[in-house]
Amino acid sequence: MEPKAAPSLQERGIVFDVQQFSLHDGPGIRTTIFFKGCPLRCRWCQNPESHRYSMELSYSRDRCIRCNECVRVCPAGAVRDDECRFDMSRCTLCGSCAEACPARAVRVVGMEYSPEALMAEAGRDRDFFSGSGGGVTLSGGEPMGQHRFLAAFCPMLKAQGIHILLETCGHFEWSAMEGLLPFLDLVYFDLKHADDGAHRKWTGVGNGLILENLGRLSASGVPVQPRMPVIPGVNDGGENIAATAALLRGYGQGVIHLLPYHNLGEGKRRQLDSPSEYIALEPMQEGAMERVKNLFVEEGLDVVLYR
Amino acid sequence: MSYYIDEMRPLPARAAALREEVQGAVQSVCTERAIIWTQYHRRRENRKKPAVVRMAEALAEVLARKSIAIYPGELIVGNFSSKRVGGSIFPELHGVPVMLDLLRFRNRETNPLAVTGKEIRSLLAVIPFWMFRFMALRAYRSPLARIRFVADQLKAHFYLINESGGISHIAPDYEKLIRIGAGGFIAEIEERERDSAPDEVARDLYRAMKIIAEGIARFGERYGELAAAMAGEEADPAKRRELEAIAESCRRVPRGGAETFRDAVQSLFFAQIALNLESLDNSVCPGRMDQYLYPYYRRDLERGLITRDEAKELLACFSIKMSEIIPVFSSHLTNFHGGMFNGQVVTVGGVDRNGSDGVNELTYIFLELMDQLRMRQPNYHARVHAASPRQYMDIITGMLARGSNTPALYCDESIIAMMTKNGYSLEDARDYTGVGCVEPVSQGKSFSSTDAAIFNVPLCLEMALNGGRRFGHLFRSGARTGPAGSLMTMDSVKGAFEAQLRRKMGDLIRDLRAVELANRRYHPTPLTSMLIDGCIDAGRCSTAGGARYNFSGVQCVAPADTGDALFAVERAVFQEGRYTMKGLVAHLKRNLRDQRVRLYLRNLEKFGNDREETDRWTLYVIDRFGETLRSFGKNTRGGGYVTGLYSVTAHEYFGRITGALPSGRRRGEPFASGIAPESGMDRFGPTAVCNSVNRIDFTKIGNGVNLNAKFDPHSLRGDEGRAALQGLIQTYFRRGGMQMQINVLDPEMLAAARDDPALYPNLMVRVSGYSSYFNDLTPAMKDEIIRRSLYQC
Ligand code: SF4
Ligand code: SF4
Repeated sequence: MEPKAAPSLQERGIVFDVQQFSLHDGPGIRTTIFFKGCPLRCRWCQNPESHRYSMELSYSRDRCIRCNECVRVCPAGAVRDDECRFDMSRCTLCGSCAEACPARAVRVVGMEYSPEALMAEAGRDRDFFSGSGGGVTLSGGEPMGQHRFLAAFCPMLKAQGIHILLETCGHFEWSAMEGLLPFLDLVYFDLKHADDGAHRKWTGVGNGLILENLGRLSASGVPVQPRMPVIPGVNDGGENIAATAALLRGYGQGVIHLLPYHNLGEGKRRQLDSPSEYIALEPMQEGAMERVKNLFVEEGLDVVLYR
Repeated sequence: MSYYIDEMRPLPARAAALREEVQGAVQSVCTERAIIWTQYHRRRENRKKPAVVRMAEALAEVLARKSIAIYPGELIVGNFSSKRVGGSIFPELHGVPVMLDLLRFRNRETNPLAVTGKEIRSLLAVIPFWMFRFMALRAYRSPLARIRFVADQLKAHFYLINESGGISHIAPDYEKLIRIGAGGFIAEIEERERDSAPDEVARDLYRAMKIIAEGIARFGERYGELAAAMAGEEADPAKRRELEAIAESCRRVPRGGAETFRDAVQSLFFAQIALNLESLDNSVCPGRMDQYLYPYYRRDLERGLITRDEAKELLACFSIKMSEIIPVFSSHLTNFHGGMFNGQVVTVGGVDRNGSDGVNELTYIFLELMDQLRMRQPNYHARVHAASPRQYMDIITGMLARGSNTPALYCDESIIAMMTKNGYSLEDARDYTGVGCVEPVSQGKSFSSTDAAIFNVPLCLEMALNGGRRFGHLFRSGARTGPAGSLMTMDSVKGAFEAQLRRKMGDLIRDLRAVELANRRYHPTPLTSMLIDGCIDAGRCSTAGGARYNFSGVQCVAPADTGDALFAVERAVFQEGRYTMKGLVAHLKRNLRDQRVRLYLRNLEKFGNDREETDRWTLYVIDRFGETLRSFGKNTRGGGYVTGLYSVTAHEYFGRITGALPSGRRRGEPFASGIAPESGMDRFGPTAVCNSVNRIDFTKIGNGVNLNAKFDPHSLRGDEGRAALQGLIQTYFRRGGMQMQINVLDPEMLAAARDDPALYPNLMVRVSGYSSYFNDLTPAMKDEIIRRSLYQC
C-alpha cells in the first residue's frame, strides 16, 4: 500500500505518546516523544498506533465493562451495543466516548500539540536531563513526517539547552532535513534491509531515498548512529549483513546498534481499526543476536547489542 | 536472577561461615531478660529505691546473670540473648500483650518464633506481677481511662502510640564511650558530683549511671574470663591465639578506653547489647561508624597492628552479630512493624562536623560489606552530598543497580537545612545519622522519640464525609461535622476534614503525653542518658528532657491516598458534577460495588504524575497534618512534635481497617507506603514521581521521609542504567529530596517466593526505610510488594 503523505499542518504536532524516564534510548535519562504517522509499513511493526498521521480511536475489548456510557454520549450515533461497538465511518473523533468511558477502554490515540504545549511536556524532566547527560528523543512513527512542526519545536528545545536525538527510518525529503541539522545532537538511523527489492517487499517502500539520506547525513557533521532491527528470516541472513556492512563502511560508519525483535505488536493491533497486513514472525531464537553480531564483527564493524 | 542471590561476590571464609550460622539459626524467644528483670523488681528491698536506680540495678543484674557464649570463629563477641538468634521480652513495656500471644508464637504464620514449653511456663509465671504494671496501663491513673487507652491501642484504628513500648531510637555517643570507657564516665560523673551541687533527681541519676557503667564494664570482663578459659582448653594454636586476643580486648573494654581498632568495635558492641536490654530493643543505632572508628583504624595501620583485610574481617564479624537480635512482637504489632526488624542503623559517608567530605577507607569497607553480606541488620544508610567522591557514588549506584536494595540514601544538604531550621546547631546537624527507618537525629546528642506514634489520615476523611462517623458505624467517633449532603463546597469538605484531623490528632497527643510521663516516671533510662550528650550536664534523665535535642515524631500515614481522594471529590462532585456528595458517599458505603463508579474514580489522576492540580491535594494534607501537629506545642521533654512521612508497614494495616475512599480504593486495600504514589498509579515513571514529591517543602518534615523507588532490573542494566540511576538520585536530592531507597524487584520472582518460601530463603526487599527478608513479611505485605513491583517503568 502507498503510505500517505503528511497532512499539511501549520505548526501542530500529532503525538501519540510522551514517555518520561526512557533509558537505553540514547544517552542518560530521556523523554521520548512519539510522533504519529509513518511512511513505511514494516510488516513486523510493533507499534500500529504509529502508522497513520491522523488521530484515531482505540478500543480495548478486554478492558470494556459494557456499561454503554459510550453509546449514550456519542453525538454521531457511531457506537452500538454489540461486539464491534464502533462504526468508524460515522465517528467524528470528537472524543466524548473516551471522556465518558469509566474503564478507559476507549481512547483517542494521538493528541495535537502546539510547539509550546509540547515543550511544556518535554521540559518536565529538564533537571534530570542535565543531571544525567540525557535529553529529548524524537521518535515515532516517523518524526520527519512532521518536519514543519519540528522546525518550530527543535529551536525551542535547543533554547533550553536540551540535547536532541532524532530517530528516523530515513524516508524523507532531504530539503526537510536541512533546516533541522543545526539543532540535532545525534541521529539514530534505522536500516531495515540493504536490498531495494526486499526492502520494498517488507516495508512497502524501496531503500533508495533512505540510503541517499544516510549518505548525506553522514557527511553533514551531525553524529549519526546506524541501527538495525534484527528480524528473524527477514534481514538476519549473511548476505544482507555483508551488504549492510559494506554500505556502512562506504559512508564511514564504524558502529552498528542491533535491536532484537520483540513480538508485542499483535495485542496492540487488535485494538485499532488497522488494515495493514501483519505477519506473525518467529520469536527470536536464543543466541541469534550473538550470531548476527559476530557476522558484523567479521565485517569489521563494532556492534552494540540491545536487549 | 543473580541480582538477588547473596553469593554475588565471595566473602572471606570466616564471615561466610558465621553468616551461614546466623542465617540458619532458628529465631527464638529468650526469657532471660524478662525473668531476671522480674526477679529484681519482686525483691522487696528494691521497691523503695528511686526508679532510675532500679532500672540501673535491674539492667546490671541482667548483664551479670544472663548466659554468655563465644561461638566458633567469632572475633567480636557478645550475645544479645541466650539464643544464637533471639529476642527478649520486656514485660514492663508492651510485655503483657506480647506474653498473652506466647502460646501462638510457635505456630503463627508470620514471624514464628521458637519457644519451649518450659520457657512458656516460666514466662507465664511473670505475667501476674506485670499485669497491672506495664507501660500502657501506667499512662493513666483512672481505671476507666486505662481501659479505654489499652483497648484503643489494641485496635489502633486511628493511631498507634509506639512509645508505650519504650522510646529508644537513639544514636548513642559511642565515640566518647570508645575513647574514655565506662571508667571514664564514672570519673566524669564523680567530678560533677563534687563540683556542682546536684539536686536529688540528679543525685539519683548519677548514682544510677555509675551502677550501670560498672555493669557494662563487668559485662565485658565476663567475656574476657570466658575467652581466657576457652583458650586454656583450646588445642589448636591458631584458635587459641584468637581466643587470647578476644580475652585481652574484653578485659580492657568497655571499662577502659580503646587501645586498638578491635577494642573500639568490641567496646561499642557491648554497649549495643546493653542498650537493647535497657528499654525497647528498637533502633539503637551505632550511626556513623566509619567516622568515629576511623582514627583507631588509621592508628593501627600506622603502627602496623592491622591490615585492611583484617579490619574488614572484624567489621564483618560485627555486622553479622547485629543480625543475632530479633524483636519479639505480638501479632498485633507485627502489623505495624513487619519484617523482624530492630532498626539498628549504621550510616556511612556524608560531611563531617566542619562540612568537609568524610568518606574514608572504612566507608569503602562498609560498602563492600553491605553488598556482600546482604543481611537483615544492620540497616545500612549512605549519606550523599554534592561533593561526595565520584568513586563513592559509582560504587553505591552500581550496587543498587545490580539489586542490592541497600544502602538507603540520604541527602546531606536537605537534611542539614531541615535540622538547622528545626533548632539544631549547624555542627550537630552535620553530624546526623538516621535512626530506625529514616529519621535524622544528631549522633550522640538527640533523644528524639522518632517513632512516637503513627496516625491514620484517610480515616479522618472517611469521618469527614460521614458526619464524624466511620462507614457502617452507628456511633460518632470523630468530631461533629455536617452530613454528606451539607458539604456543598470543597471548602466545607476541607473544613470537615480538618476538624476530624484536629480531634483525632488531639486525642493522640493527649495519650502520647500521658505515655511520655509514664516513661519518665516508671522507665527512666540511665544507660541511654549516660550515652546521650546533655543528660550528665543537666542532671536529668533522657526521658525527662536531659538530652540536647528532644523531638517526637508522629507519622502521617497515607497522605497520597487522602490527597487523591480529595482530588477525586473535587473533580467528580464539584467540577464534573458526576455525582452528588451524598451519592458519592452512598457508593463509598457500598464499597464501590458499582464497577462504573469505581473505575471512573480509580482512573482519575493521582499523586505522583507531576500534575500540579492533583499533587496539590497531597501537599495540602501534609501541610494540614504538620500545622495541626505544631499547634499542640511541645512534648513533655521540651522538644517539638514533628511530622514523619514514612509508614513502616502501617499503611498496610491501616488500609485493612479503613473504608472505601473517593480515590477508587476499596475497603481494606493497602494504602501507599511513605510518600510514594498509590500502587500502580505512577504512570510516568520515577522522574515524574520525583517531580511530584519534590513539590513538598521538606524543611517542614522534621522526622524524615521515605521514598521507595522501584525498578525492574532490566531498566537499570549496564553502566548506562547505573549512570541514569545516579542522575535520578542526584537530581532528586539537588532539588530538596531527603531520602530515597532503591528497590530492584522482579515480580515473577517475588510471586514464586511467596508461593514457595523455601525457594529464596534469603531474598531481601526494602520495606520502608529498611530491609527485610521477604519470608518474614505478612502475606498481605508480600502481596503488596508484588503488586507494587508489577507497575514499573
Ligand atoms: S463506555 Fe467504555 S467500558 Fe463502557 S461500554 Fe463503552 S467502551 Fe465499554
Ligand atoms: S469519538 Fe465521538 S463520534 Fe467517535 S465514537 Fe466516540 S463519541 Fe462517537
